[in-house]
Amino acid sequence: MSLIQKTLNLFRAIKQNGGILSSLKTLYVTDDLKWGTHVGTDKYGNKYYENNYYFLSRNRWVIYNPDFHLDYDGSQIPPEWHMWMHYTTDKPPTVKPPVNYKWMVPHQENKSGSSEMYYPYSTTRTKIESWQPAHLRTADTEEQNPKLFNIPQNNRIGVQ
Amino acid sequence: MFHPGGVHGARHIAQSLHHVKNAIRGTCSSKLLMQQKAAAAVAVESKKGTVTPPPTGPAPTAPAAPNSVEVYIDDKMVMVEPGTTVLQAAALAGVEIPRFCYHDRLSIAGNCRMCLVEVEKSVKPVASCAMPVMKGMRVKTNSPMTRKAREGVMEFLLMNHPLDCPICDQGGECDLQDQSMMFGSDRSRFTDIKFDGKRAVEDKNIGPLIKTIMNRCIHCTRCIRFGSEVAGVDDLGTTGRGNEMQVGTYVEKLFASELSGNVIDLCPVGALTSKPYAFTYRPWELRKHESVDVMDGLGSAILVNSRGGEIIRILPRVHEGINEEWISDKTRFVYDGLKRQRLTQPMLKNSQGLLEPVDWEDALSGIAARINRVPGQEMAALVGGLCDVEALTALKDLMNRLGCETLCTEESFPMNAAGTDLRSNYLLNTKITGVEEADLVLLIGTNIRFEAPVLNARIRKAYLHNNLRIASIGERVDLRYETDFLGDSVHVLAQLADGDHKYSEILSKAKKPMIIVGSSSLQHGDGTAVLANAIVLADSLRSKMSSNGDESDWKVLNVLHRHANQVGALDLGYKAGPSAIKQMQPKVLFMMGADDGVVQRRDLAGDAFVIYQGHHGDKGAEMADAVLPGAAYTEKYATYVNTEGRAQRGNVAVTPPGMAREDWKILRALSEFVRGSSVLPYDSLDEVRKRLAEIAPHLTRYGQVEDANYFRQSKDLVWNAARPGHSGQTLPAQQRELEDFYMTNTISRASRTMAKCVTAARHQKSTRYGL
Amino acid sequence: MSRLASSSSSLVSRVAGSGLTREVKPLVSTSKREARQRVLNLYRSWYRQMPYIMMDYYVPVSVADCRKRLKEVFAANRHLTDIRAIDMLVIKGQMELRETIEVWKQKTHFMMYFRDTVKQKPSEGFLSKFLDGKS
Repeated sequence: MSLIQKTLNLFRAIKQNGGILSSLKTLYVTDDLKWGTHVGTDKYGNKYYENNYYFLSRNRWVIYNPDFHLDYDGSQIPPEWHMWMHYTTDKPPTVKPPVNYKWMVPHQENKSGSSEMYYPYSTTRTKIESWQPAHLRTADTEEQNPKLFNIPQNNRIGVQ
Repeated sequence: MFHPGGVHGARHIAQSLHHVKNAIRGTCSSKLLMQQKAAAAVAVESKKGTVTPPPTGPAPTAPAAPNSVEVYIDDKMVMVEPGTTVLQAAALAGVEIPRFCYHDRLSIAGNCRMCLVEVEKSVKPVASCAMPVMKGMRVKTNSPMTRKAREGVMEFLLMNHPLDCPICDQGGECDLQDQSMMFGSDRSRFTDIKFDGKRAVEDKNIGPLIKTIMNRCIHCTRCIRFGSEVAGVDDLGTTGRGNEMQVGTYVEKLFASELSGNVIDLCPVGALTSKPYAFTYRPWELRKHESVDVMDGLGSAILVNSRGGEIIRILPRVHEGINEEWISDKTRFVYDGLKRQRLTQPMLKNSQGLLEPVDWEDALSGIAARINRVPGQEMAALVGGLCDVEALTALKDLMNRLGCETLCTEESFPMNAAGTDLRSNYLLNTKITGVEEADLVLLIGTNIRFEAPVLNARIRKAYLHNNLRIASIGERVDLRYETDFLGDSVHVLAQLADGDHKYSEILSKAKKPMIIVGSSSLQHGDGTAVLANAIVLADSLRSKMSSNGDESDWKVLNVLHRHANQVGALDLGYKAGPSAIKQMQPKVLFMMGADDGVVQRRDLAGDAFVIYQGHHGDKGAEMADAVLPGAAYTEKYATYVNTEGRAQRGNVAVTPPGMAREDWKILRALSEFVRGSSVLPYDSLDEVRKRLAEIAPHLTRYGQVEDANYFRQSKDLVWNAARPGHSGQTLPAQQRELEDFYMTNTISRASRTMAKCVTAARHQKSTRYGL
Repeated sequence: MSRLASSSSSLVSRVAGSGLTREVKPLVSTSKREARQRVLNLYRSWYRQMPYIMMDYYVPVSVADCRKRLKEVFAANRHLTDIRAIDMLVIKGQMELRETIEVWKQKTHFMMYFRDTVKQKPSEGFLSKFLDGKS
């Protein structure tokens, strides 16, 4: 690539990032100034870009919601975009929408280090099923009865 | 051609064998038969780790009768009764001959050929299980010819037997494994695997309890003989001959017997295994706990196997006095009901009127606060049939100390004459073994097939071998043997008692008649009449017996209870039937294990406080204001008194789940919270048992039956009281069909296996072949 | 020689009561004042290091709890008079401080400072055993 083209790319990048000041801010936050097509935005406000002129692993990136400031984290990307970001698929959720299964839990960013971090718990059935008085019995089938599995409600057994 | 249980039917075969034995022996009596069986039982190889203690009953060594023959087993002389087989004689001599098809409680088949031994002066080896001994016979059980025969038979059996040991449930307790190690050859000559290979047989579907892998079947026909002789259900049989022989039901049919699980124990290989337990364990990792069954009133001896604090299976123990070697399907497979719907936390109703879990201290103090507000005369207690004697004693002591005398059982008993004051009125007086000595049994208002399956098996055994005659009054049910059906209402019984019936002649000619009154017939309106007439009839028969000069020790009247500890409760002084509670409208009701729903909320005072102590959440817990979790029968050291009056001990196999505790301990702890000096005077199990011995000494004399008397006095009381009238309605049997058998008490209602059995039985009923 | 002297003096001191002074070979400090200085320095070091220790270990105690415990531990040895013993304990305290600061301990070891020194009596009486679940 010639110098002229590189300079043109720089201007393109600055333009896409919203001017010199915003580009400096982006550089400060992400250490990177790139230009590319805006593939889509997710529900948190993170924007996803793609530019296949860059080599593989630099051609897809995310600009996190500015509300996160410097506290951005990879786990803030919802699963459907995660698939695209990590090259599991070539079709972003805008092209191929994700399937919603009944068992899917809403997305949560990784809270490690904090008091709400994930702490592993037993997923086996309890050996003895307790009787529940009528008002505590759920209308669900037995398989979904939470008392069969001692899933801790606050996810923090054993942690001080 | 499909041969169900043999060409002529089981009874004929058994009787013909019987006649053969008679011919040799001259006279015969069932007692001798039992003696020999007891003798053989001592030396029989233990099956599935069953503990074989010396059988209660006749002494194990047969005394030398005057006409005994001498036999030489391996040059060791034994004197045996004529008519014993070589195998039994060898067992007496201490030599165990391997076999697959022989079982001491079934008829002799002689088709496995593993018991071949060499007998001098005989060219061919002899099937020792079928050959009766002759004088001076010399048997060699370890000669080269015997060993060659055994190795040959084993080789043939293993030729078509699949290499399933790693995946077979019977591994570790398999007769074929053990005998091939001990008696088989060490190398295989089977090269046909590269050509035609082993025989393959389809698996048969015979129900949700028994898993069949018919590739492994060695055609010993034990299951077929069991079905036709002991269970009376001719569902299993053989199809085809030779290599093509298959054991099964031919049409896809449920093995519709309440004793069907016993074929799992009988099958020497892994062809018939237990479906609920499939692939869950190996026998060497299980712990054994001897215990007593509470599913029916007989108190069968069981062995509870557990691993890692969870019950894995339940097996029968040999007890000649109660269940021989059999247990019913409910007993065997109900263990998974002990894991569902369990009460694991004490609960109290909060201010909104909803049960919420609390800890023990809060629960006990909350309950005590309510109890302390109420005087003793307005309190009552109701107990179910599964409560152990220790808990019943603690409850009665506590209630009596609080001033309450109204303690009732859920099951009623007619109280007009002697009622439950005379013990002979409510026990099975002739004992279960009496069935084998009787020559006539009159069943009144009981479907004994489902209420006490093992007793039914014994009656059937007596019907086959001893020519027992059975008459029945009540709803017409299929008992799997022929009965003289006399009628279905009390009217018939009244006629018999007066001597006006056609059958009275036959009754009076019987030398040892037995009258079995079912407790289900004593519940509803005609119950008083049933019992009164039965007492009168029994007394008249007894007086005829004594006037004929027969042994007057024979008791005629028997009552068969359906609940495990009803007799225990009656022995301790509980009132039978909830009528007293319904009359007095208590303000505090303590329900212990009372799940039959005989007392509802509307029978109590408006603001009554109901406490439920038990182990399953059933009708009692639904209506309770306070719930205390107790322990089930496998989780406590408990005493149960069976319908004969035999006190038996159950042992702890696993600990009570969650926060549950043993029942008497809960009452002892509660006694510390209530008013006055009601603290119960016992802190440990030994002290409780001392208290039991104070109340009734038979409660601590485990395993023994004490005779009860005062039959004449009981009859006089009935005679003096006005003879109760009756409505002439049919005495309904509460369990009519097989589908009614499976879910009768709170534990079996919680069991998934039992639910599957009910579905299977209903489905089978709707098919072309029926049950 | 001094050992003999000290053993005999300890015998003597046991019999006659405390209050006897004599000359022995010192460990580190030569006078009571010096020993006292060492103790207070150690206390200060621990006290000042607490917030940083709390940052290193993820334990369910706060800085205030730690400082309270520190005070208790030091107060437990208040009665000592023998300078060599005081020195020895100070040296041990310094070693512990080093181990804690350099994170050579793990949180288990750190929590050993907060163990109950009073053993729980086994529950007596039927009711307490029943409520404990017979433990």
